[in-house]
Amino acid sequence: MDQGIYVITLVGTALVLFAAFSSLIAFRFGAPLLLIFLGIGLAAGTDGLGLDFDNAAVAYFIGSLALAVILFDSGFGTSVAAFRQAAAPALVLATIGVLMTAGLVGVAAYYVTGFGWLESLLLGATVASTDAAAVFFLLRVGNISVRERVRSTLEVESGSNDPIAIFLTLSLVGLIASGEAMQADTLAADVAIGFLQQMGIGLMAGLVGGWSIVRLVVKLKLEQGLLPIFVLALSLLVFALAGAMGGSGFLAVYVAGLIAGNAKLRSTAMLKRFQDGVTWLAQIIMFLVLGLFATPSQFADIILPALFIGLFLIFVARPLAVTLCLAPFRFSPAESAFVSWVGLRGAVSILLAITPLIDELPNGRALFNIVFIIVLVSLIVQGWTVGPLARRLGLTLPPRMGPLNKVELELPGSARHELLAYRVVAGSPVERGQRIPRWAKPSLVVRDGRSMTYQYAGRLSAGDHVYIFVPDRYPRLLDRLFASPVEMDPEDADFFGAFSVDPERPASDIEAAYAPGLSEDEQKKTIAELMRERLGGRAEYGDRATLGEIELIVRDVDEDGRVIAAGLSVEPQAPEVRVPLLLSPRDLMRRIFRRKPRPDAGS
Amino acid sequence: MDLSDLIDQKAVIPAMKANSKKQLLQLLAEKAAGVTGLPEREIFDTILQRERLGSTGVGNGVAIPHGKLPGIDRITGVFARLETPVDFEAIDDQPVDLVFLLLAPEGAGADHLKALSRIARVLRDAENTAKIRGTKDAAAIHSFLAQTPASNAA
Repeated sequence: MDQGIYVITLVGTALVLFAAFSSLIAFRFGAPLLLIFLGIGLAAGTDGLGLDFDNAAVAYFIGSLALAVILFDSGFGTSVAAFRQAAAPALVLATIGVLMTAGLVGVAAYYVTGFGWLESLLLGATVASTDAAAVFFLLRVGNISVRERVRSTLEVESGSNDPIAIFLTLSLVGLIASGEAMQADTLAADVAIGFLQQMGIGLMAGLVGGWSIVRLVVKLKLEQGLLPIFVLALSLLVFALAGAMGGSGFLAVYVAGLIAGNAKLRSTAMLKRFQDGVTWLAQIIMFLVLGLFATPSQFADIILPALFIGLFLIFVARPLAVTLCLAPFRFSPAESAFVSWVGLRGAVSILLAITPLIDELPNGRALFNIVFIIVLVSLIVQGWTVGPLARRLGLTLPPRMGPLNKVELELPGSARHELLAYRVVAGSPVERGQRIPRWAKPSLVVRDGRSMTYQYAGRLSAGDHVYIFVPDRYPRLLDRLFASPVEMDPEDADFFGAFSVDPERPASDIEAAYAPGLSEDEQKKTIAELMRERLGGRAEYGDRATLGEIELIVRDVDEDGRVIAAGLSVEPQAPEVRVPLLLSPRDLMRRIFRRKPRPDAGS
Repeated sequence: MDLSDLIDQKAVIPAMKANSKKQLLQLLAEKAAGVTGLPEREIFDTILQRERLGSTGVGNGVAIPHGKLPGIDRITGVFARLETPVDFEAIDDQPVDLVFLLLAPEGAGADHLKALSRIARVLRDAENTAKIRGTKDAAAIHSFLAQTPASNAA
């Protein structure tokens, strides 16, 4: 038995290490890092190196815990502002969207698999949710910067739709396992009540749990090193308690994360770092275990129907559901297309496909294998093409400013101030003589290894390190002073509008110069007010407000959402919508040989 | 369609000397007054008014001042290539050395905007602007302006 411990640990650590190493390779390929984890699991499993792991209950258990950790972190990293901004479209997608996707895929599955209706719908339900892990990974690590509203919608949707899919799947599994002799109307009522109960209790548990986590972290003066562990354990406690009370633990842990992450705790930065690591580990373990659990030699039997359903999901079910769900909200066709394309399936789907096996449903194995293939198809087809797609749809934003060399330091004792350390970059505004505002006078300048006061140092030069104490909500303006200049790309002129407009000027100036047909009232406003009004009360970087034949474009907003820089375009035209089916060989080569993306200098 | 129907070869200043944005605009207004026969002061005020709304420097050393002028009978352009670039408060903080002034009649509406976007496009083409910067010959500049850029044609 002694030997057993070592062997298992050896194999386990070897797999995790291998997966971690593979990330180095995967970054060059862009997206499908998760695919590689899954592949490593497959390669080590029954049909590869021969690790025989076939315990459905254990796989499900590990996967669920990993998912809880991931969901807590995704809630933790979602700002309430983003959540509010995207809540309506995202929640429609997470509820109605999931139901529609499940239904459509279920119908398709019924005709190609030979399953019964309930089993087909079960199949649909397992692949109905967008995978938070995959989406977050793509959007954050994949170096894609899309418009804030699109990004928030995707993040909130993927974070919050798992509980619904999980509920649907578990209900259907229960239904099939119990025999099908139930009245349709009592059934519908049962499901509806079950849904309300799960979500209601989950939500309450999440709110109370999140609040308690915040209170405990603030009240208890815990050892710094112990704090992240404490928070992690509390989050799993919330998950477990909600589940034990008959609620959705997954919803609870996501909500708790959302609350804790937005509570402006002093240790938020440290907690984030820790959770980043734990989430990586959870991802790796989840995908490895699921890969190990699958048996690729069985895939041959179901490969054709599975491929068909996978492609149907990507090209028909998801786009249809997304288009209908987003119709009431103001999304451009390009944005809808992007949202539907980023609907990646991932570990959650595979995890859910294990549940029929646990309950030993007759077609459980076939169903699991089909879902596995669908997820693979989705990760490969969508995961690999998201970056080029975003660029082709014209959704990527030109960078607001050039690269920045900054370190944020946490200060003991004070939650209200931060210490920022900037390295002065050649060509940045401060280097060219721009003044630093009074509230941000540097406390210390380090030049050539010698430290000196700002007064003594005089004008800053490239290579200086500057230390500045600021209130914690320092404006982005400061970053801009230290950023290297942005290279103007001709494409950016399309994006920002060729001409500049001072948002503080009266809108009547616009009417005088371009006669777009503004009303008397509108002409009395400032341009900033007019833009905000035309944009539905909220202006956001990159937004375009159409006025007759011209467009006003938000080039920047301040903390309070006021437009502080605007552009004017005289050729309003939406970017052409081209949805690439596959990556061209040239694009592929370019991605393969592209250098690893530079790590974000801010973190 | 190219820019030759907006600008006459006589309206090209191949080697203008200006020390400031204001002087540049004044010289342009002077030229435009010569081309159109309208008072220089009025032209200058019109484009200055537009500059107050925000710089018409579109980046990469190019500016396209413009405005609506009552009394002008058709859309009229004046082009200047500067000997030394001047600061124009452009979006990329680069000083400006290629300037296309566009004046439009009151009711020009869509045609005015179409002309502006065409000018922006022609002067966005790096190859084209390099050619214009490389010559002091008004006829050559005029013919370069008349070229439709191959890229950005979409």
